[in-house]
Amino acid sequence: MKKILILGYLIHLLLFTIFSYFFVDPNLIYLRNIYTGFAFDYRGITTFIYSLFILSFFIFYFLFLRLAGKRLINQKDLIILITVTIASLLFSYPALVSYDIFNYIATAKVSFYYLENPYLIMPIQFANDPLLLFMQAANKTALYGPFWILLTSFPFMLGLGQFLITLFSFKLLILVFYLLTLYLMYKFSKNTEVLIMFALNPLVIFESLVGTHNDIVMMFFVLLSLYLFKNKKILFGIVFLLLSIFIKFATFFLIPVFIYLLIQKINKKEVNWDKVFLLASISMFIIFLLSSFREEIYPWYGIWFLVFIPFIKNSLLKGLYISLSLGLLLRYIPYMYLGTYFGPTPTLKIILMLIPVFLFLVYKVIIKTISSKSI
Amino acid sequence: MFARHKFIIVIIIFLFCVLTSSAFAKSEYVLPYPSTMPGSIFYKVSLVKEKVMQYWYFGNFGQFFYNLKQSDKYLVEAKTLFEYNQYLLGFQALQKSNKYFLKTKPYLIKAQSEGKDISENSNMLSDAALKHAEVLTDLQGRLPKSFVWTPERDKPTNLNLKKTIEESIKIRERYL
Repeated sequence: MKKILILGYLIHLLLFTIFSYFFVDPNLIYLRNIYTGFAFDYRGITTFIYSLFILSFFIFYFLFLRLAGKRLINQKDLIILITVTIASLLFSYPALVSYDIFNYIATAKVSFYYLENPYLIMPIQFANDPLLLFMQAANKTALYGPFWILLTSFPFMLGLGQFLITLFSFKLLILVFYLLTLYLMYKFSKNTEVLIMFALNPLVIFESLVGTHNDIVMMFFVLLSLYLFKNKKILFGIVFLLLSIFIKFATFFLIPVFIYLLIQKINKKEVNWDKVFLLASISMFIIFLLSSFREEIYPWYGIWFLVFIPFIKNSLLKGLYISLSLGLLLRYIPYMYLGTYFGPTPTLKIILMLIPVFLFLVYKVIIKTISSKSI
Repeated sequence: MFARHKFIIVIIIFLFCVLTSSAFAKSEYVLPYPSTMPGSIFYKVSLVKEKVMQYWYFGNFGQFFYNLKQSDKYLVEAKTLFEYNQYLLGFQALQKSNKYFLKTKPYLIKAQSEGKDISENSNMLSDAALKHAEVLTDLQGRLPKSFVWTPERDKPTNLNLKKTIEESIKIRERYL
């Protein structure tokens, strides 16, 4: 049964990888041979297939969580599941619903090929660059921190000037950090079940292994910092926290948590790590919500608080985060179907995001009512 | 008879407009607001910032923008100081503006040799040159030809304002 489930999961991932190529941009000259235009010409069918994939991703997720809860998934199974996931999705097309990977490449090119300051010079300044044909933020200077730009020098150099190799090198970089995060989580928790909760969460998989967003890198360095604090390597802990902040700035809002850790250390008091992770997740959840004031809530921001899910004991919060991760993936549906960011799209995005959260809360209320009546 | 007079008046107005207008077309280029002026404590800070920013604006495009920005800043500073009859400081600011302006084009040429498309930045430089020339031409008409600046307990300095402004305009005309 377990083997069939894993095989089914593998087939599902491979089909999703194929589906991702329906979204190849018409201007992406490097993939012209496999361009179909399907996602743009058949929006209804594409949205339907996408919704089915999201649903099936979550069904697999809950099945694996259930098996893990019954201790039917051991460490070896988990390694197989993660291997299957990364091996299949490494080759998926990353710009399914977000073009951020092209921005990463363009920023790296401005820095390491054109040798210009990416915080001053926009990619659009290089009028003949082929990246301008398909990237969507050519008129913006670098949006991310200097440490992220420095990290991107590795996949950029590895690409040897070839776009497709560069593209998959960037995917590889994120994949490495996804694995490092899982390793660190395991070092913290030594628990397979809780690891599955993060490792196979569809939002985490989708935004890290498919969409190639750097949020997982930022959160890895925060976890590493906490790990070092736990092992009393305070100075290194602070350094890695700063590195995390210099990736995407959002983890700046974890500073109060680290101040709490420092105070406990100075007072030689025992640190309540459950409390630390809870506070960290809530801090990141608040900044996630506040991001709507800056621009909008992007689905990949969910990784900010999902990283702490394996360490949270509160089932209500866990359920809230998981239901929100489903809602965040549903946010893509309005644009996918309507092809516009305007009109009803913004409202529909909010409604779709909140539906799973609402259903989860209703479910919780019903369960609580039933249990209180039975008492 | 009345029609002939009307014709002469029109001709006179036309000639007046043509002869008194600037030799340069109007530029859309926008110069910055005046920043801190010499004498202010913040001015020294701005000088330090200027030095530091030189390294932040790395790369040939970066250096082009840096030099153009500094040239703009010092031109506005010179104009403001001249308007307040601070001729020596204005004179020095204008010389700094010239120094920076002269450095812009070589960086564009270097960028071009690296295969970068410089057409947009070249147009920007031409627009900037035009705007600078407009400002300088305006100043030329308002300033004395020369001025002897006599500071307290120091030797007087003869400032050849006319010549310096003419040279400054010539520098800009090279990049038009």
